Amino acid sequence: MNIRLILKLAAVAGVLTAISLWMGRLAYRWLPAPASAEALLIDDLFSLMTTLGSFIFFGVTGTLLYSVLFQRAGKYDESDGPPIEGNVTLETVWTVIPILLVIWIAAASYRAYDQMSVLGPMEHIHMGLGQAIAAPLDLAQASAQPESIEVHARQWVWEFYYPEQGITSTELHLPRDRRIKLALTSEDVVHGFYIPAFRLKQDVIPGRAIDFEFTPILEGKYRLRDSQYSGTYFAAMQADVVVESPTAYEQWLQRSAAATPQPGLNPAYAEYQLKVENRGRPGWKTVEPAPSPLVNYVGSAGA
Amino acid sequence: MSSVNLDSSLPAPAVVTAHGAEHHDEAGNSMFGFIVFLLSESVIFLSFFVGYAVYKTTSLDWLPPGVAGLEVRDPLINTIVLVSSSFVIYIAERFLKKQNLWGFRLFWVLTMAMGSYFLYGQAVEWMGLPFGFTDGLFGGTFYLLTGFHGLHVMTGVLLQGIMLARSFIPGNYDNGEVGVMATSLFWHFVDVIWIVLFILLYVWQ
Amino acid sequence: MTNISVDALAPDRAQPSPGEPESWRRFFTFSTDHKVIGIQYIVVAFFFFLVGGFFAMVMRGELITPEADLVDRTVYNALFTMHGTVMLFLWTFPVLNGLANYLVPLMIGARDMAFPRLNAAAFWLVPVFGVILMASFLVPGGPSQSGWWAYPPVSLQNPTGNLINGQALWLLAVALSGVSSIMGAVNIVTTIVRMRAPGMTFFKMPVFCWTVMAAQIIQLFGLPALTAGAVMLLFDLTVGTSFFDPAKGGDPVLYQHFFWFYSHPAVYVIMLPIFGVFSELFPVYARKPLFGYKVVAVSSFIITGLSGIVWVHHMFASGTPSWMRMLFMFTTMTISVPTGIKVFAWVATIWGGKVRLNTPMLFALGGMIMFVFAGITGIMLASTPVDIHVNNTYFVVGHFHYVLYGSMTMGMFAALYHWFPKMTGRMYYEGLGKLHFVLAFIGTNLNFLPMHPAGLMGMPRRVASYDPEFAFWNVLASLGGFLLGVSTLPFLLNMISSWIQGEKAPANPWRAIGLEWLVASPPPHENFDVIPTVVAEPYGYGKNEPLIAPLGSMELTRELS
Ligand code: HEA
Ligand code: HEA
Ligand code: CUA
Ligand SMILES: [Cu+2]
Repeated sequence: MNIRLILKLAAVAGVLTAISLWMGRLAYRWLPAPASAEALLIDDLFSLMTTLGSFIFFGVTGTLLYSVLFQRAGKYDESDGPPIEGNVTLETVWTVIPILLVIWIAAASYRAYDQMSVLGPMEHIHMGLGQAIAAPLDLAQASAQPESIEVHARQWVWEFYYPEQGITSTELHLPRDRRIKLALTSEDVVHGFYIPAFRLKQDVIPGRAIDFEFTPILEGKYRLRDSQYSGTYFAAMQADVVVESPTAYEQWLQRSAAATPQPGLNPAYAEYQLKVENRGRPGWKTVEPAPSPLVNYVGSAGA
Repeated sequence: MSSVNLDSSLPAPAVVTAHGAEHHDEAGNSMFGFIVFLLSESVIFLSFFVGYAVYKTTSLDWLPPGVAGLEVRDPLINTIVLVSSSFVIYIAERFLKKQNLWGFRLFWVLTMAMGSYFLYGQAVEWMGLPFGFTDGLFGGTFYLLTGFHGLHVMTGVLLQGIMLARSFIPGNYDNGEVGVMATSLFWHFVDVIWIVLFILLYVWQ
Repeated sequence: MTNISVDALAPDRAQPSPGEPESWRRFFTFSTDHKVIGIQYIVVAFFFFLVGGFFAMVMRGELITPEADLVDRTVYNALFTMHGTVMLFLWTFPVLNGLANYLVPLMIGARDMAFPRLNAAAFWLVPVFGVILMASFLVPGGPSQSGWWAYPPVSLQNPTGNLINGQALWLLAVALSGVSSIMGAVNIVTTIVRMRAPGMTFFKMPVFCWTVMAAQIIQLFGLPALTAGAVMLLFDLTVGTSFFDPAKGGDPVLYQHFFWFYSHPAVYVIMLPIFGVFSELFPVYARKPLFGYKVVAVSSFIITGLSGIVWVHHMFASGTPSWMRMLFMFTTMTISVPTGIKVFAWVATIWGGKVRLNTPMLFALGGMIMFVFAGITGIMLASTPVDIHVNNTYFVVGHFHYVLYGSMTMGMFAALYHWFPKMTGRMYYEGLGKLHFVLAFIGTNLNFLPMHPAGLMGMPRRVASYDPEFAFWNVLASLGGFLLGVSTLPFLLNMISSWIQGEKAPANPWRAIGLEWLVASPPPHENFDVIPTVVAEPYGYGKNEPLIAPLGSMELTRELS
């Protein structure tokens, strides 16, 4: 190979690398602010994959674009191109490089996943309710007892139960920087527990109890969305998640414990009433939404 | 891929105009296609088997209340009948190869009788069982597997009936007959499936 | 290119050339000619593409605002369920079967498929289950509203309590579609294995035939699993068994395994023949042999093999144990290796060629670029930690529309333009074709690119309403969607008017190499007057070698074969 070609290739690779690294930086901005310890790991991984992906994508399309722009047949040029049928070196290179890339991406993903579970088991599933599970190995915060909260999903409302205080709520309140341990159960169909700001998602499967742990790190108000399609009012099955300082959290618990129960937020049910009264749009018969649970804390309506 | 047996009977074509000369080996195509189909069909059974194994090993209350398990003796007799019928149908095929039509018909009808006996035995067993299709996972998978297999036995017997009837068309089976070969292959397939099924349902309790 | 003159192979029988206006009626008959059946498949599938697209238009209309205001939620849910079902089972599979039906016998030098009557029967099932599926709009309770996955327990809920309900009809339609596909697969595999012309060894066979065979083998091992799951679901729904009903001790996740064991490989049933189309088109329009032909051909079967061991990547969030997540993450990623081999081979084929950018080439290039994009988002999805965030969001919807529209549908348009002269004996209008391309390319990107940021922000899929923060991206997507809808108009206009009064096409308008280009356009009944003997590898561009043996040596090769 001559020097000029090598230099040219190096220059192209340099530009490509620069663009890809820049894309990798941009990638963080496409995601909501990371509000859990796990989110940081996932965002780094996503950024890495964006970098590598950009390199591949712009590499391939750039080459194509060059051919399409500069290697066109003339209008009356009926001749054929050079009859090159293959090149073993080249073919080996482009088999081996993707293999190496795959190993790299898989290893990075594995590491991220592993760290997420070291932070706390991602999820524990026990068949049939009430069976014993292995004690979570928790290195980071072994001392602190995780905050246990039960999550009950039903068509189409989320209900949160704080067993120690005996509080129920339709808004999820969490203390910052504490390990949270959720027990997810569903009474009817499969639902999905998903908080985009935490980058965490877990299907809630009827007939099973699923333990799910994570650590919120950023105060604020976020959205919990149902991520597993669950029927007519699926889109309305959302709730607010409030991450607050441990003191604010304790105060909230105390205030709520004192409050008298009242019907919780349940947009699906409200919408269904419109339909029953024929004030909605014409549609087909639907499964009836569960009525609002009685809760100590309702939460603020709307987004 | 060769088309020897058909083409060699023709004089070598000087100029191949019409397409008469390169008629492909249609019987071979049919047999090939049928084997491909059976391979695919076996995946349905495989899926049911996997489902059965998963349910049996993970389900909390596997047997419906009041059911202790399955009686093995009668199904075993049934199994023996069905498995031996595979040999009988093989003998029938041998007779056909030797152009002995009556020998073929005799053993062919015997196969049909054995198949029908199997179906009868299956029906008797179903009648006597203390649980139904909707009684839990055990009931569901049991009837699903035996029913789906039974449907195949029934299809096999029907196919055999058709082949038997066609053997009475004069000259029809002179060159051997793909239909017969395919039917008998199907019968062996149904048998093998049953052996797996028997082990899963009755032996592994 | 080839030494043999076209006239030598042309038909001498006096029969109306197929495609003549007076013979259009045969497209409505139970014909057993693979070419008629092929076109029947394509036309019926395209009709359903319009139907599925129409549903998508209503969906995009609903999603242009955050509130659920255009249609009732039940209607929206029915629409996306039917959109997905129609697009997959009534557009992609039938149209690809149509293309394979038309091309495979011509490409391998056969007069017809191995089982012509089975072929016709398989085709006629398509309108039958299409009508069944559409009829579900008329039953009380409306069509299935459980998404195209039909996950239980949602799919078992049946609020009307009727035995004949949308979900049951949906299951029936999908089962019939499976029967039709199995019949087609048996036929195509048998045809390719047993009906090749003398001299056409596997390594002289065009890549399109390789990919079709690799795809049909997937149907054969995958569909039975779906059928098993569908049968069990149907029993749960109608007679009350408990296979997947957690209220009765059943296991809803097992259904998911059955479903994805087929439906993941199914995406390669869809994509592989399009890889074949790319492999046929790039050499023609770059005037170079396909780079690494044998490796490209064989990698199709590697994809077939790998496709059977990756399905759990659709279930990373379904309570799947960690070891399974990691295992399937890795197997999924390995698919990029054989796929990469193909992509790089296409790039190398085009590189240094004499590129001619007419409509088929534009669609093929556009389809390939969007495939690379979709493949990369696919690898991101394969990474479990990333997928845990974006699973069931619009990021996934963006990923799969880039493959299903951006490359499969675009690739199909490329194929239709490329073989249109062969199929109809007429040329299409280049100007309208280019207009179609421009609209479709812009529309696809405007429609589906914004779905990625929306998904990364956390917008779930299958929602009729959403939080206002997602509105911006959805407005863009809806505008792109409408543009895509409009882009089908020049295509329709082009196809219909060219077929009726386009310029007459010669046998080989693209100067392409391949058996199908040696016969007249459209090819005569039974394709070849004399079955040719193949002596060269395909794609001999620039090599100046004959593809088939001269007629005189026919007898000799016949005896040798
Ligand atoms: C034709 C259709 C098609 C095709 C070809 C693909 C191809 C791929 N898909 Fe996609 N996919 C779908 C259709 C398709 N998909 C559909 C319909 C769904 C959603 C279904 C639903 O939920 O309704 C889906 C969903 C889906 C998911 C589940 C997401 C979720 O629900 O959370 C995943 C996860 O792994 C995935 C991955 C992949 C991968 C890894 C590929 C790979 O095959 C891609 C390989 C290609 C490349 C990688 C590019 C070329 C390669 C190179 C240039 C070499 C170098 C590259 C590297 C080393 C990375 N797909
Ligand atoms: C090959 C498959 C394919 C194709 C081509 C398309 C094409 C399109 N899809 Fe696709 N889509 C799927 C397969 C496909 N889709 C699948 C599998 C799902 C998942 C379903 C599920 O979740 O269960 C899905 C889901 C899906 C969603 C997500 C729904 C949700 O989750 O809530 C959306 C949203 O925008 C969407 C939009 C579109 C659009 C705008 C097009 C456009 O490309 C369409 C362009 C329109 C046309 C080409 C038609 C033009 C017609 C006219 C102008 C009128 C003429 C009308 C008649 C003659 C009747 N689709
Ligand atoms: Cu609620 Cu899914
Ligand atoms: Cu997949």
